Amino acid sequence: MSKTFDRYSSVAFLLIGLLFVIESQKISDSAYGSSVGPKIFPMWLGAILILLSLRLLYETFTYKTETPSGMKLQYKKFFIIIISAVLYAFLLEKVGYVISTFLFLLISFQTMERGRLLPSFVIAAAFSFGIYYLFSKLLGGSLPGFPVF
Amino acid sequence: MSTLQFLADGFGIAFQWHNLLFAFVGVIIGTAVGVLPGIGPMSGVALLIPVTATITSGMPTSAAAASSIILLAGVYYGAMYGGSTTSILLNTPGESSSVVTTLDGYQMARQGRAGAALAISAIGSFCAGVISLIGLVLLAQPLSNVAIKFGPAEYFSLMLLGLAAVSGLAGKSMTKALMMTVFGLMLGTIGIDAVSGIARFTYNQPILFSGLEFLTIAVGLFALGEVFNTILERDKEDGAIAKINRILPTKQDMKDSAVPIVRGSLLGFFIGVLPGAGATLASFFSYITEKKFSKNPESFGKGNIAGVAGPESANNAASGGAMIPLLTLGIPGSGTTAILMGALIMYNVQPGPLLFDEHPDIAWGLIASMFIGNLMLLVLNMPLVRVFAKVIQTPKKYLLPIIIAISFFGVYAVQYTTFDLYLLLGCGVAGYLLSKNDYPVAPLVLALVLGPMIENNMRRALTISNGEFSIFFTKPLSLAFLIVAALWLLVPMLLKLKGRSVIVEDEG
Repeated sequence: MSKTFDRYSSVAFLLIGLLFVIESQKISDSAYGSSVGPKIFPMWLGAILILLSLRLLYETFTYKTETPSGMKLQYKKFFIIIISAVLYAFLLEKVGYVISTFLFLLISFQTMERGRLLPSFVIAAAFSFGIYYLFSKLLGGSLPGFPVF
Repeated sequence: MSTLQFLADGFGIAFQWHNLLFAFVGVIIGTAVGVLPGIGPMSGVALLIPVTATITSGMPTSAAAASSIILLAGVYYGAMYGGSTTSILLNTPGESSSVVTTLDGYQMARQGRAGAALAISAIGSFCAGVISLIGLVLLAQPLSNVAIKFGPAEYFSLMLLGLAAVSGLAGKSMTKALMMTVFGLMLGTIGIDAVSGIARFTYNQPILFSGLEFLTIAVGLFALGEVFNTILERDKEDGAIAKINRILPTKQDMKDSAVPIVRGSLLGFFIGVLPGAGATLASFFSYITEKKFSKNPESFGKGNIAGVAGPESANNAASGGAMIPLLTLGIPGSGTTAILMGALIMYNVQPGPLLFDEHPDIAWGLIASMFIGNLMLLVLNMPLVRVFAKVIQTPKKYLLPIIIAISFFGVYAVQYTTFDLYLLLGCGVAGYLLSKNDYPVAPLVLALVLGPMIENNMRRALTISNGEFSIFFTKPLSLAFLIVAALWLLVPMLLKLKGRSVIVEDEG
């Protein structure tokens, strides 16, 4: 449990709550014949979230800070994988499913543990080709398989 | 038609060869999911929804829904079987509901009785599965007959009760759990309002008109959140796996565990029916009960077989019991059942009292297939326990990236937009950060599924009453639900104020 995270998140949720209350005012009241329009529910939710965030903010001042556990997080691995995942999402429709999946898997396998290139290569290739073949050929689904030139 | 006739029809559906195959695949994957630490039943089911959606895409809607829900439910209760394997062999629970199994199960393994412990937990799980299914069969029709008389006001209050129950028991801080619930409800309002047709919070982005896809959020929060957690914090090495010598339990073992199995099953079933309380709580309570009833309570924690049989039966019975509110009332009581419900809604099948009238094939087919699935699990688990023990050794190096790739595939194959892929990654990071800081994500998913239904019922009720909110308090049933909901939040709060420790349901 981290006090700083709780502080930031309570402020963030407070802002989200405010945003909902303010923005819900702009939703038009057009539903005829009903006194309860589409804006009531989100507005209330926003208000409740504001109250809860204030409560959490108050709580962060009362509880004792726990000493963070001395575990070292593997940020480098994580960031390489998340960035390659973003690129994967970006490239999926551009270069097709098979190539982007293959590249993503190869990079992340090697990021998780260096070396042993051949098994990584084989598993990545088998997965990307296998899924594509099974899905689009056998089951007739549609996936952007390969780049269209 | 009588219940028996419906059940017979259900077996007719469950015995169709493709449904047998679906149940089989479901329980196999479920066992693997339970065995693999890191993937719980919730992320396992969430990951498989897109896969089943594509496999069944050629079938008529109703049959497709029946087949997928058969597979997905198989994953759910299969995971309960698998979870015990790692607890006993490795002393690391595969999922949270088998935490207590480590206490006696691992001790038994150290004494060379690993096989007996595994077999007893499989037998216990089977008995529990059958007992909870009998309960399901007996209660389904009467409960849905009552529920069919509910008006919008009763539904609104009942759903509030469901949310309150899950929030009251989830996580260490109730403030955080409630925040997650409200946030989930808010996310559910994005998109075109079903009643008035007005776009809300979409800012003219066409991609938002249909709302945020529940599947993307569930897979992101649970599956990817867990993957990111393992990538970041993988430092601990897995211990050695205990050897399995003899699989069949001795006569004495059977005699010692017969009563705990029955007790655990009944206890687990009733805890499972309650919203908010699920498999984890059930196994804890069962362990405590067994210790209380035992002639020599000091032997618990030193390899008493009752400490394995009771909790393992209880968590399986709870997963069967949890199907009751889902199928008869249309209200999921836990994270995993919320995901099952989302899957049914994806097929345009609304769980609830009408389910048994409108889609008897789905409801009874599922119930019948659970009988068959449990039998399959028993038959599979006894001889194959060594094979499943091998699954534990799957290198994380390959497993984690492949989970990411499967979730990408699943989300893209259902949604066909890259927006959902970015949303998926965002939810993955959010899921990691939130659960790391004790913000429970199960209430968020539950609220996201229930949100639109709560709002619709609220507005329908208020339309009936001309905007008078008193309608929720003047209808006796609705008032009763609201009182119970308030109690569910207040009682844990009071217990905490008194300094008593409250067991929390931590499903993941």
